Parts: sequence; structure tokens; C-alpha cells
Amino acid sequence: MIPIFSLLICTSVIWKWTYGFSAFTIFSYTLKSAGSTPRDFPEMKFISQDEKIFELKEKKKYVLVNFVYLNCPYVCHKVNNQIEEIYHLFDSTMVPSQLEFLTISFDLKNDDLVKIKRYRERFGTDINGWSFALPYQSDQKTFNRFLIQAGIWKYQIPANGVINHSVYLLLINPKNKIVKIFDPARENSQAITSQIKSCVKN
Amino acid sequence: MRQKLTNTIFILIIVVLCWLISFAFNDWFCATMPRHQLLQLPAMLILGFFTGWQFLKKLKLEMHWGISLLIFVMASLIFWMLPHSIDAAVIDNRFNLLMLINMFVAGLLTFPVLRNIIFEIRILFLGMVAVMSIATGIALISFNLLLCSAFNIEQQKETGAVLIKAGIAFFFFTLYVFFRGIGKHRSYE
Repeated sequence: MIPIFSLLICTSVIWKWTYGFSAFTIFSYTLKSAGSTPRDFPEMKFISQDEKIFELKEKKKYVLVNFVYLNCPYVCHKVNNQIEEIYHLFDSTMVPSQLEFLTISFDLKNDDLVKIKRYRERFGTDINGWSFALPYQSDQKTFNRFLIQAGIWKYQIPANGVINHSVYLLLINPKNKIVKIFDPARENSQAITSQIKSCVKN
Repeated sequence: MRQKLTNTIFILIIVVLCWLISFAFNDWFCATMPRHQLLQLPAMLILGFFTGWQFLKKLKLEMHWGISLLIFVMASLIFWMLPHSIDAAVIDNRFNLLMLINMFVAGLLTFPVLRNIIFEIRILFLGMVAVMSIATGIALISFNLLLCSAFNIEQQKETGAVLIKAGIAFFFFTLYVFFRGIGKHRSYE
């Protein structure tokens, strides 16, 4: 009986720690901790590259949100290149009337409006419906809480300042609910696009 | 008297080494994944093992207790190999301390249990540790995704490669223990 009891306790601890053997990394654990979809997108004011202050719930349309920081050595640019690909797979009947793209920087220390505006220009001048934004009047603590509620993990390595973070794309519906979460590292642009299209059409 | 002095010196050495690993050099160990997973974690396990070797030689455990403790040791190793646990340990010092204590206790218990447990279970345990190490190593080198937010992908792959080598070495050690044990059994027959 004792070995079985020991096995049960050990398995239960690991089961609880991994959300039933489904979240083995801190990225997936944070996402699972935030709750299942559909769930509310946490409230936060943002300021876009054109200095427009907005909240996502005011948009009343679908928004595909991703998080980056401009000093990222690799992953953020790769994800944004994929978003650029996704953006161009939609036509003007859908973007920006029914769907918008929003790239949020979480490096409050180094990124500013000038930098994100310049960064946005790299993806072309004709990307109507794809905004780049920063949290508006938010301190690091509040913004970190917002990220956790959204299911996004970020950790800045003290030695080199690199921010490792979740690369999930969150699809927010017009009622300000996260309805779909995409992992661009595992799903290709076509698959993501077709899922977004089916969400928007329904 | 002499035994008492030896024990005191032994405890002092273990305490100093534990302090060095857990506190004085903790930041250095936590700076990279290979240092954290391949040096700090096994170092505490080994310190625990030698403490068990020094003080728990005479401890006799019944088989059901031995198996239970081996399950605990195995689960501890699995738990601290999970990317989520590694991140938690590096980010939160208290969690790291919990990991180090857990590893020390696991090492401490491993010695008396392996010494007294039946040969078949000993081999099974050693074999499972070897396989687990190789499997973890393969997972770490085959994923092109960052699994631990506190480190980078190069360190992840480096750790994976060393874990595979360590696992293979441990597998050969298991084979050695197995054939040595078989030889002993035959000589009794």
C-alpha cells in the first residue's frame, strides 16, 4: 500500500504542477492559468504609433494581438514577419473593417512612439489596419499584471537584458473576449488565416 | 572519539559545500542552463548521497519503504527536469532553495535504499534514471523552441547534448552493476 500511496502523491504533485500533464513550460502554464477561451481580454489603455489612445473594447471588431519588443534579437521579428504574411492573406473587405492587427511592445524602458513608428514602416507604408502600440500611462507592475491576465509570460534575463516571452497571437472578438490563441511557432500562416476567417465569418 | 571527530569534520565539509552551492555561487550556477541543471542540481544530489553513505549505512528499510522512497527520488528528478520547474527555480530564490533541499534529501535517501533494496529493483531504478536522462536530453536538443524563459536555446541544446552523454554513461554503469550482481548471484549458487 505504501508504494502506491507514494506514487499517487508524487503523480498528483506533477499532475497539479503541469495542469494535468498539459503545461510543461512556463509559457503554456501562464496561458492555462489565465483560463480557457473565450475569456475577457484584460483592460488596458494603449497608445498607437499615431499617438491615438484607445482601449481594445472600443474597437468593436476582431483584433489579432501579439507582443514584441524592438531590441529582440530574433523571435519577435520572425513572428512579425509571419504576421505580415498573415496580414497580406486578407483582402480589404475584411481588414480593417472587420479585423485589425495590433502589435504591442512590452519593453516600457527602451521602446517609445518614435521607435515603434519607425519599426512599423519596415513592414511597408500601406498596412492600414495594423497598428503598433505601447501601454498608455502604465507602470511596469500594472503592465506585468495585465500580461499575466492575458496569458502572456515574459522574463528579462538580468545578465543581458534579453526578454524571453510567449509568442502567442490572441484573437479578440468584438465583445472584447479572447476567442482563439495561435502559436506561430507551431502553426503556419495559412492555417492561422483560415481559422481567423472562419471566426470572423461566424 | 576518533569517529566523532571524523563525523564532525564530515558534517562541516558538507555544510560548507552546501552553503557554497546554494548561496555563495548560486547566481553563477543560475546564469546558464548547463550550470544549473548539470552542476548545481547533481552536486546537491551527490552531497546528499555521500551524507547518506557516511551516516545512514546501518539504516535498514523494509522493501515497501525502499520502493516508496525510490518513487519519491524518481519523481523529484522528473519534477526538476520540467522546464516550468527550472524556470521557477531560476526566477524565485525560494523555489531554488526548495529544489536544492529536495535534491539533497533525494541523494541522502538514495544511498541506504539502494544498499538494502533487492537487486532487480536496484537495476530497474538505475536503468530508469539512465533512460530518463537520455529522453530529457533528446527532448531538449530536438525542440527548436525555447522551453525555459530564463535561458536561451543554445544553452538548452548544450544541456540536452550533455544529458544524453551522461545518460549513456549511466546506462553503462547500470550494465556494470547488473553483470557484477549477476556474477555475485552465480557465485552463491
